[in-house]
Amino acid sequence: MLLMGNEAIARGAIEAGVQVVASYPGTPSSEITESLIEQADEFGYYTQWSTNEKVAFEIAAGASLVGARSITSMKNAGLNVAMDTFMTIPYGGCKGGFVVAVADDPDAHYSSTEQDTRVLAAYAEILCMEPGDQQEAKDMTKEAFELSERFELPVMLRSVSRISHASGDVVLGDVEQGRNKIGFNKHYKVPYRWNVYGPPGARSKHEWLHRQLVDMKAYSEQSGFNEIRMVEGARTGIIGVGLGASYAQEAMQELEMHESISFLKVGIPFPLPEEKILAFLKALDRVAIIEEGDPVVENMIRVIAQCHGLDVEIVGKNAGRMFNPWGELNPDIVRKGIADFMRLSIAEDEARNAIKADIKELVTTRSSALCPGCSHLGTYWVVQKILKKIPGVHIVNGDIGCYEQGGYGEGGRKPASDEVSKKYKRSSPYETLDTIHIMGSGIGLAQGQVAAGYEDGKVLAVCGESTFFHAILPAIVNAVYNESDITFLILDNSWTAMTGHQPNPRTGMNTRGAIKPADIFDIVKSMGVKHVSRGNAFNLQEAEELLAEAVEAEGLSVLILEGECQLQNVRRNKITEGFMQVNQDTCNGCRTCVTLGCPSIKFDAVTKKASIDPITCCDCGLCTQVCPVQSISKGM
Amino acid sequence: MTYNLIIAGIGGQGSILASRIVADAAIQAGSGVDGDLKVRVGETFGAAMRGGSVASHVRIGPDVGGPLVPKNAAQAILALEPLEGLRIGIPYLAPSGLAILNTSEVMPIDVKVGAASYPKLETIKAALESLEGRVYLLDATSLALEAGNAKTVSAVMLGAWANLAELPFALEQLKEALQGRVPPKTVSTNMKAFQLGFEAVASD
Repeated sequence: MLLMGNEAIARGAIEAGVQVVASYPGTPSSEITESLIEQADEFGYYTQWSTNEKVAFEIAAGASLVGARSITSMKNAGLNVAMDTFMTIPYGGCKGGFVVAVADDPDAHYSSTEQDTRVLAAYAEILCMEPGDQQEAKDMTKEAFELSERFELPVMLRSVSRISHASGDVVLGDVEQGRNKIGFNKHYKVPYRWNVYGPPGARSKHEWLHRQLVDMKAYSEQSGFNEIRMVEGARTGIIGVGLGASYAQEAMQELEMHESISFLKVGIPFPLPEEKILAFLKALDRVAIIEEGDPVVENMIRVIAQCHGLDVEIVGKNAGRMFNPWGELNPDIVRKGIADFMRLSIAEDEARNAIKADIKELVTTRSSALCPGCSHLGTYWVVQKILKKIPGVHIVNGDIGCYEQGGYGEGGRKPASDEVSKKYKRSSPYETLDTIHIMGSGIGLAQGQVAAGYEDGKVLAVCGESTFFHAILPAIVNAVYNESDITFLILDNSWTAMTGHQPNPRTGMNTRGAIKPADIFDIVKSMGVKHVSRGNAFNLQEAEELLAEAVEAEGLSVLILEGECQLQNVRRNKITEGFMQVNQDTCNGCRTCVTLGCPSIKFDAVTKKASIDPITCCDCGLCTQVCPVQSISKGM
Repeated sequence: MTYNLIIAGIGGQGSILASRIVADAAIQAGSGVDGDLKVRVGETFGAAMRGGSVASHVRIGPDVGGPLVPKNAAQAILALEPLEGLRIGIPYLAPSGLAILNTSEVMPIDVKVGAASYPKLETIKAALESLEGRVYLLDATSLALEAGNAKTVSAVMLGAWANLAELPFALEQLKEALQGRVPPKTVSTNMKAFQLGFEAVASD
């Protein structure tokens, strides 16, 4: 059946008899856990959305220590959050099969960075598997649980966007009927097994980990996921890793080179099958390595070649490179790379390319936008309005989530000197955030700017409510403790919306049913923040007054602006009618409503009048509040 | 031989659902007596996900590897929005490839705020024809409304494709896949939309 890569990983876990699932959502990994949550009742296992990846990792690890088969899924950056525990769990090892599914994002389609997490599997010295298609994604996940129990260590499954978010035909296997027994043994095989400080000590546990590595290598040597195909008499070879292997095989077919190049498909990038690779390298003069992400496998193969004094030319993403060590692979890049490697010239259709260059000009950009009726539209409107009234160069620190859309204008702008930059006026609501890095980064950066003595303007930070629970709590306590004078906004839309509307502690539900929503106001108050306020994000006057107070307040001030994600509001409350319209007689063409940034608002360049698309408008009323001549009202 | 189809549109228009319908039909065909078909569905995005461009790549054939269609290799492009047809058509449309464009325009925010302009439909058609494309304009949104629901626009487009293209499987398999994927309550509306799309290009 047709399965998305993430659904295939979920199916693999189900077939392996998974017992505990805990994750924090993150594109492109979220559907792994979403799919598992959907099927939890049918197959009988525990699921949760956790507050962050470190907590989720610990839930899954804890379940493993008492014997359960468990999985946690996350995006590339999620593993950074889990790093502390991720690095230490391998010293004690685990008991029930424990799979860490990480979806990397080469080309950063949905991410802050292109980081390659396979490096971190090698860093933690645990086995890493990398599927080349959706069938392998399922099969590897299933096997990963077995391997985790065999080596008593977590196993990482490294996917990439083009596996996780692509679909393919997958043949399903049987679902394991038995379940691991839950129990606890303090001294399971090793004294103080789960206490990495306990005797015989961390150094000795590291030594144990290296002995496990020998067994993992032996597995990698014989695994069918690492497959060698030698071509008699060939002096050149290609090593394809994961999806890179799928691209390479297709390109070799197309170039009709598959009968003249030896091929090694690597599905276990760590630890590599050293003997298999040696045999491959020894038979060849030249080898090209094709992998998504950094030259991780390539560098390890260079080490193998150097250790064994092999005189073989290796090309990939290092010096003399065939591929860039940034961006992602695609069929054209791989075909061109292989052709160059084989010194074939591919004829380019120059005439066609010239036509393309010409008509490309017609392709208008379709910039990202907040959704119609999004509460953040109003919030950014208010932030800009307040900051414009105060002289100075203000810094608004953001982070990631739907509200990151407030981080860029409609067009790119040139770099400018400090003096020129100071005079720059923000021109649209989509230009509010000055810094965006990663979850929770804004509030810390803001405190640093103040600590450095920044006095040219106000210092603000914003985050969403899911980020608040994920990464903000220690930073607020820090601001209280160190008496930092910043203004902090929490944009509470009740859902982890950007990754597909997963529930969080504010939503009023978990994966099992309804619960009482957490009260952010009480939490912030209890941390010792003196100036805490809360308002309705859809009431612009109220939001404006509260923000003005918060910005002027001495010391740390926190403002919570609440407004449910409009997509969810419409969906849950089945809102099918109701829209705003512009009175064409009284509209004075000032374009104020257009600068709100709502995608439902259009402006006619000829008539110089605004109008509202009745189909996409969801009746939030923000535009009626910004129109200076009261020309917008409920439609009929 | 690989059959490459790209369904282009804007997030929420139904391109992903339509691509899965085609993939289901191919899997059905692949498991038959003639079958050794592999199926992959990939996606490419424009600058953004929200209200941004989305294109679903469907690849069907015995030698399919990755999920993305190579440049100049799409035998057919179905565009649920005309500008998106152009955006995807330029890099991906194969010479003599089929491009079916829904004429219903969705203005980018860049155009709404006056930072960019939207090309005329005839200009889009001529541009794709200059790449030797066989281009059809179809008011699929009106046909979808005629069928009873604006959301069936992708069914209209699949119907038109089924008539104009050499399908990599039987027409019946495509219809069955459509019935199997859409919400049960909307099966008859979608089948009507498919038929309207099929007939709209019949006289060409």
